[in-house]
Amino acid sequence: MSAAAIASSASGRTGVFRRLAGQELLLAVAIVVLAVVVGFINPRFLATRNLSDILLGNAYIAIAAVGMSMVIISGNIDISVGALIGVLATISGSLAVAGAPTIVTWIAPLVIGVAVMAAQGAIIAYLRIPAIVVTLGMLSILKGGLISVTGGKWITDLPQNFHLADLSLFGVPMPVIIMVLATVAAALWMRNSPMGRAIYATGGNPEAARLCGVNPQRTVLMVFALHGFFTGLASLVYATQLRVIQSTTPQGLELTVITAAVVGGVSILGGVGTVVGSTLAAILIAEITSALVFINVSPYWTDALRGALILATVIADILRRQRRAAQGWKR
Amino acid sequence: MKASLLTTSALAMLTLSFAAGGANAASKWDGADDLPTSPLACDANGAAAPAAAKPYDGGQPTGAPDKAGKEITVVDVPKLIGIGYFNATSKGMQDAAKELGNVKVTTDGPTEAKIDEQIKFIDNYITRGVDGVLFAANDPVAIAPVLKKALSKGIHVVGYDANSTPDAREWFVNQAEFNGIGKSMVDSMAKEIGEDGSFAIVTSTFTTPNQARWIAEMQAYAEKCHPKMTWLETVEAQEDNNLSFNQATTLINKYGDKLKGLFGMTSVATPASAEAVTKAGQCGKIAVVGLATPNAMKPYVNADCVKSVVLWNPVDLGYAATYVMRAVVDGKLKPGGTSVDAGKLGKLNVINGSEILLGPPFIFTKENVGKFDF
Amino acid sequence: MSATIETRAFRAPRWLKRHETLLAIILLIALVGLGLLNDRFLTLDNLLNQGRLMTEIGLIALPMTFVIITGGIDLSVGAIVGLCAIMLGYSWKTFGFPLPLAIAFALFVGGLAGFVNGLVITRVKVPPLIMTIATLALYRGLAEGVSQAHSVRGYPEWFYFLGQGSVFGVPTQLLLLVLLTVVAGVVLDRTTFGRALYAIGANETVARFSALPVDRVKLIVYTLSGLASALAACVLVSRVTTTRMDMGAGYELDVIAAVVLGGTSIFGGSGTIWGTVIGLAMIQLLKNGLALTGVKGDATIVVIGVALILSVLIASSLERRRD
Repeated sequence: MSAAAIASSASGRTGVFRRLAGQELLLAVAIVVLAVVVGFINPRFLATRNLSDILLGNAYIAIAAVGMSMVIISGNIDISVGALIGVLATISGSLAVAGAPTIVTWIAPLVIGVAVMAAQGAIIAYLRIPAIVVTLGMLSILKGGLISVTGGKWITDLPQNFHLADLSLFGVPMPVIIMVLATVAAALWMRNSPMGRAIYATGGNPEAARLCGVNPQRTVLMVFALHGFFTGLASLVYATQLRVIQSTTPQGLELTVITAAVVGGVSILGGVGTVVGSTLAAILIAEITSALVFINVSPYWTDALRGALILATVIADILRRQRRAAQGWKR
Repeated sequence: MKASLLTTSALAMLTLSFAAGGANAASKWDGADDLPTSPLACDANGAAAPAAAKPYDGGQPTGAPDKAGKEITVVDVPKLIGIGYFNATSKGMQDAAKELGNVKVTTDGPTEAKIDEQIKFIDNYITRGVDGVLFAANDPVAIAPVLKKALSKGIHVVGYDANSTPDAREWFVNQAEFNGIGKSMVDSMAKEIGEDGSFAIVTSTFTTPNQARWIAEMQAYAEKCHPKMTWLETVEAQEDNNLSFNQATTLINKYGDKLKGLFGMTSVATPASAEAVTKAGQCGKIAVVGLATPNAMKPYVNADCVKSVVLWNPVDLGYAATYVMRAVVDGKLKPGGTSVDAGKLGKLNVINGSEILLGPPFIFTKENVGKFDF
Repeated sequence: MSATIETRAFRAPRWLKRHETLLAIILLIALVGLGLLNDRFLTLDNLLNQGRLMTEIGLIALPMTFVIITGGIDLSVGAIVGLCAIMLGYSWKTFGFPLPLAIAFALFVGGLAGFVNGLVITRVKVPPLIMTIATLALYRGLAEGVSQAHSVRGYPEWFYFLGQGSVFGVPTQLLLLVLLTVVAGVVLDRTTFGRALYAIGANETVARFSALPVDRVKLIVYTLSGLASALAACVLVSRVTTTRMDMGAGYELDVIAAVVLGGTSIFGGSGTIWGTVIGLAMIQLLKNGLALTGVKGDATIVVIGVALILSVLIASSLERRRD
């Protein structure tokens, strides 16, 4: 699979571009089609309020998925992201309640997120411990540590100006702006900057990448540091949305983020996929969750249905890729 | 070919679930359990017909050492740690321990509401050797074997908040009767949205026993005393703040003006629902009634978004449970007893054979919410 | 890495033994240390009890070792446990199956679930991580849908012997685990099937060209994974006397931690059952020992996380030095 990726990227950026555009197009179409179908059954689904609520309530997942897809593209994985978001949100909220200036409470999660993820990246890259082991261990450390320190006490009494997610720019709510900016910036950077392309190369074939002059270790370290930044951004949106911060690790968040990246077309084999795809996938998954409530699916079956839809999307993606690859070889 | 096969099967699944969803047209509210209900009378005091005194049906420890008057170590294993509710019960236990002077209570438990984890915690403490176990069960039947093991090793077992099967513990401190909570919740909602209002429910999961009992009792009581109120839907939101918020928002958007009230069934769901109502600008138009801790609800109660929060005092619950444990060890509360002395709470009555009732539900309102800190 | 594949397959046995020995030494140090801190830890009673409690994870860790050796992974095992638990109760209560038939049905459902995983992974070529993340959600959802969130209780007494009984003082399920561990170890070490697993994990393309039935082998390991999850579900239901649709939640991470700690490389191509057993025992005894010493739940999780990273770090760096 990775051989095919290298081959087609060797044939020029157009080859990769065309293949990648396939999955994103598929997702965008799916988002629209689903909205139309559900809107038919229950027109209230299409109300601006509802559509914007879907985006707002789940923007933090999309932002986290941006970083996660970069990690997966580089050939690694991170299952500590959910725990880290919980920790960063708690730190941010605690600083706010303790009276720190608002800008500090917003910058802190970004800085700490980068630091923690970069540490993991260093262990993975330089000490050669597999990513799944390091992030699994870190998940435990963060989860236990958070409860140990906070005792599970919720953070209430947040100052009014803490709530970044409540602000809006030109009428567009902050979470959406951050989500779009993060996606666009990351996408452009991945496609155009040498480090971005190094990430694809490292994920696709580390040996070949090394022979091309790419330093895989430094690349992995960078990827995790960036992932930490986006995780910090996601935790910021997550923390500033509600009036209370729960001080526990949000359950199952890492799986949701990985699912978003994977459904977005990021190949777990590394080397293929885009962050635009993962953002679209995050939106689609959020839309499906809301849609299932709107069309009165029995609440006992909503999870099964969502799982089935995710499976169908993934299978469709793989089949589409195979058909493309087969056509590619024929040429 | 494969793709079309997969698409057809996906479509088939979708149709099936529509059918399942439609066929499942709620004759009963989602999330309720199948146990018999006993709704209270519709009037203001809602006195239940005095039940015939049930004989004691709790379990007993075998070979428990006599520690009357001596210092005892007790472990408290709640459903999970890290939520305000169990922080409050833990605080109550510490208060009682300080007053009593010869009780040492440690709270330890799983970070997620998983019964398997909770069992392992209790098991470890049995091996360590404690004098008493206080618990709030994630599942009444699944927790029974390990509690019986504790009893067989001479450890005293007292439950609170969420019961086990009666023979697995000596006593259970009940915060309020299920039907009492059902009545309080539905009456509060009816007062705010009127006799023909429609409402929806946000709960944790359908398998959480207490929540399922409350929903069942709420349904029975509503059918009896407020038959024109309409139940719209119940959604699950785990114990996650953000998820609860998203689910409540979805409900508000789905039903629009039809939705007049939201029930929050957990201390996480209620503040999140209140937040959703606030964000949607529907304060005053959509009522939020639920179980929650006062701290989490202060912003909403003070903004008049939420009129009343139904609860009992979880600090008192933990406090009472500790006093019951002490009384059991001292031999002051024996099978067949009718009341127990619970420090500043006075005398608490024994009901249903082996349950001790804390008292009527406590209603937090704008006037008194500021006095509490949990 | 690809250049050393052929030689690696031959050097594997000695290399593997080293990681397990290191791990066993670390385990022994931990045992002795915890035993000194607490006198209830090293009692036969406690150790047997821990064996009872770790059986569910242990049963699933056996085929998971196979799966990871082939370079794959199965994250849906926890969900399959929940699904099979529900199927056990549902078929017994609602279909009216006699209990032995219900147990067989639950095993069948587990095997089928694993088979579906394997089928899509081998035929449609969906990567295992993705497929099993999707089925993780799907199978759990099915458990909820079928059960409508109801539990099933009130099983006949004889059923509880599996989860709560003992044979000559040894917990029943522990005997089952030991038996299956020996079988798994023999299969991995002594049969062509076992060697095929290593070959596929080391280099799948080469394995295919060597006329190994790669797809069939993979199909078998994923089916075994599902079967083991079903068996674990039966043990669990018997131990706690009820079924819940959320049973098994989080098992996948515990299982993977045990396997990876035991020296099985997540990239495939190496690993032993013996290593998995040590990894399993280490995690369980560490949790237990810490709890008995008075460390609370949240701090224990932190220690486990640190121990996981440290052990893998120590074992693999020492290994690399000897290479």
